[in-house]
Amino acid sequence: MKYVIKKIGTMIFTLCVVCFLIFGAFSLIPGDPALSRLGTQATESSLNALREQMGLNRPFLVRFADWFVHALAGDFGTSYSYNMPVSDMILDKVPITITLTLLAFVLIVLVSIPLSIYSVMHENGPVDRGILILNQILMAVPPFFSGMLITFFFGIVLKWFVPGGFVSYKKSFSGFLGYMLFPAIAVALPKIAMTVKLFRKSLLQEKKKEYVRTAYSKGNDSRGVLYGHMMKNALIPVITFLGMVLTDMIAGSIIIEQVFNIPGLGRILMTSISNRDYPVVEAIVLCIAVLVIVVNFLVDVLYHVIDPRMRTE
Amino acid sequence: MKKRCLKPLFLTAVLFSLTIALTGCSGDKASDSSSEITIGLAQDIEDSLDPHKAVAAGTKEILFNLYEGLVKPDADGNLIDAVASAHEVSEDGKTYTFTLRDGVKFHDGSLVTADDVKYSIDRCADTGNGDPLVSAFSNIESVNVLDESTIEVNLKEADTEFLAYMTTAIIPASNETPDTNPIGTGPYKYVSRSPQEEIVLERFDEYWGTPANIANITLKVIADPDSIAMNLNGGAIDMFMRITTGQMNELSDEFEIYEGTMNLVQALYLNNDFEPFQDVRVRRALCYAVDKQEIFDILSDGKGSELGSSVFPSFGKYYMEELNSVYTKDTKKAKELLAEAGYENGFTFSVAVPSNYQPHVDTAQILAQQFKEIGVTANINLIEWDSWLSDVYTNREFEATVIGVDASSLTARALLERFQSDASNNFINFKSDAYDTAITNALATADDDEKTRYYKECETILADEAANVYIQDLPEFVALNKKYAGYEFYPLYVQDFSKLYVVEE
Repeated sequence: MKYVIKKIGTMIFTLCVVCFLIFGAFSLIPGDPALSRLGTQATESSLNALREQMGLNRPFLVRFADWFVHALAGDFGTSYSYNMPVSDMILDKVPITITLTLLAFVLIVLVSIPLSIYSVMHENGPVDRGILILNQILMAVPPFFSGMLITFFFGIVLKWFVPGGFVSYKKSFSGFLGYMLFPAIAVALPKIAMTVKLFRKSLLQEKKKEYVRTAYSKGNDSRGVLYGHMMKNALIPVITFLGMVLTDMIAGSIIIEQVFNIPGLGRILMTSISNRDYPVVEAIVLCIAVLVIVVNFLVDVLYHVIDPRMRTE
Repeated sequence: MKKRCLKPLFLTAVLFSLTIALTGCSGDKASDSSSEITIGLAQDIEDSLDPHKAVAAGTKEILFNLYEGLVKPDADGNLIDAVASAHEVSEDGKTYTFTLRDGVKFHDGSLVTADDVKYSIDRCADTGNGDPLVSAFSNIESVNVLDESTIEVNLKEADTEFLAYMTTAIIPASNETPDTNPIGTGPYKYVSRSPQEEIVLERFDEYWGTPANIANITLKVIADPDSIAMNLNGGAIDMFMRITTGQMNELSDEFEIYEGTMNLVQALYLNNDFEPFQDVRVRRALCYAVDKQEIFDILSDGKGSELGSSVFPSFGKYYMEELNSVYTKDTKKAKELLAEAGYENGFTFSVAVPSNYQPHVDTAQILAQQFKEIGVTANINLIEWDSWLSDVYTNREFEATVIGVDASSLTARALLERFQSDASNNFINFKSDAYDTAITNALATADDDEKTRYYKECETILADEAANVYIQDLPEFVALNKKYAGYEFYPLYVQDFSKLYVVEE
């Protein structure tokens, strides 16, 4: 319990630092949101009037304090480009990115865990060897490229989905899931390969350990040894890895969103940066930071559940 | 035992997802009864939906379908009456009187009143936030409501071209949130939007004029230019404006390509204050070094309409074709001019190009190659649009840039006024007394022939002085699925969706 409280304290501190850093970064990089809005029609006086209206003429710390107090109350301001509340904009997009990440994550777990186990049970068999080769290939192919191949094969040739035909989850949830499955596959493929490689190696290492021999001598068959004894130990590095994969996918969804034309958080983040739409950028980065920190926290907690040795520390 | 269970479970998961995918697809095609079209947008409207505050060309071209002014341009470039049914210009060019059309309704169902018109014009002329929203409106003396269907606009100084600015959108005075809830009188009304995803429009059934043909329009944002052809072929979008020749070649035969021009002046704009470019001989040398045909060939399979000055062909009587041949590629002459100016060994300059406009980036690269032949090195510097706005356009801290300059209204003034020595938007720092005189005369006169003559004088000066290295009005290609037809090009940067229709099979 004390551990959890300590962790939550660190989380809040990290978030505050992240907030300050994002805010500071935007004060440093060149570009003027007011000019970005007015474009070629800007004049000195209209720029000044708009800066005043946006509150950009105030000192940095005053702006930060003002933003921070409002953000704490859940008010992230209004988007410069879209004139709508930032929180509405983001709440609309969060489910898209989370669905993509979770879908990919489920695929990774559902495919890589059984595959690794099969591979270890039949070590050096044809399937095991095949998996090893396939792994190398999949790891080498970046998601945006496999994304293009998937679009071509499943979209254009087989016509299982309409390329670029993203369906909003508000219109049809099943249509939405059906579309998201393909980008999720593209994201998952290299991660599946990595997980299989890691888990397979981890299992093979455990196999050589002495407790395994003891377990056999107690009369377990190979399946019993595997699920009853080796699994838990072999899973620890995999959980660490999957935790990293999950955070990586949340923060890195942008590329695949581009390829599959998905209007998720990453896309909004990109365009908001180039439009100098700071309220949106700050809120999204904060949102991603929260998700990443929460995932890390859950992984930490999971360790403690799986491995009793950690609890004593 | 456990292992056995996993396999079928996984298979079920996959099959289940596939079923979802398949049903997801067929669901879209079911509603063929009401006409609809999905149009791809290269960029989302990251802008206000308020017609008076929107600044991006990409926003305005869409808002054209939602809003109308007292008058509006037609596809031939004429101004036709819209919210007004008749207009009259006084002899002295100082008073414009408009009679409102009977029964014009806003999208919210209310009737357009003279007060709404006055509100809209006053709003754009208001100087409360520094400058008026429409800069030409600083010339407005007063707007008077004469009776419930007559409105009079008085100008401070005579301006016979002022009608072109009365295309300014008429909006209801009662709308408190025009930024996010656009209400106009156009053939389409706004339904909803989702950032970076789509904008949905619906036909306005109480439109005063010829109603639009297609009932529902979805404007879908396609952020990745590499996937445009795939999205068209796959059926996610039915139409895409401004596709490249490369994308065109990837399209299936289900698509019709409409060909027009982008209506802008693409040039290598030179900062006339930058050391080598202060000398007219250097600027002319650059013009002589350029082979425009080569640019057209590489950029768009030989298509493109050559320009020699700051007016493009859609401007009809103002356009001077003869200026295109002032400079033809002549490497020898270019080198001589450089030598005369003291640059026999050439010089180096940098070209700032906004990285998000591929045609301009490509053009800059071809130009750099062509300048090498006369010993001039052009370094290309790709910058963000935002930096372009601040560094190049506003602060004028650049040496040269490739960009397209468009016209906000159908007057030669919109293109030529900026090159006055002291114009606030004269970003190339062009200075010529002869030019200043000519443009002042053009603006002052009320006689149309005389006006045209002065504007032509301006164009000729720009060409002779080699103010910029003029290149072309870029060709524009629109891909439209053959299930639809009726696309029309305008001489301005607008899209008219109301003319599109579904082809009967």
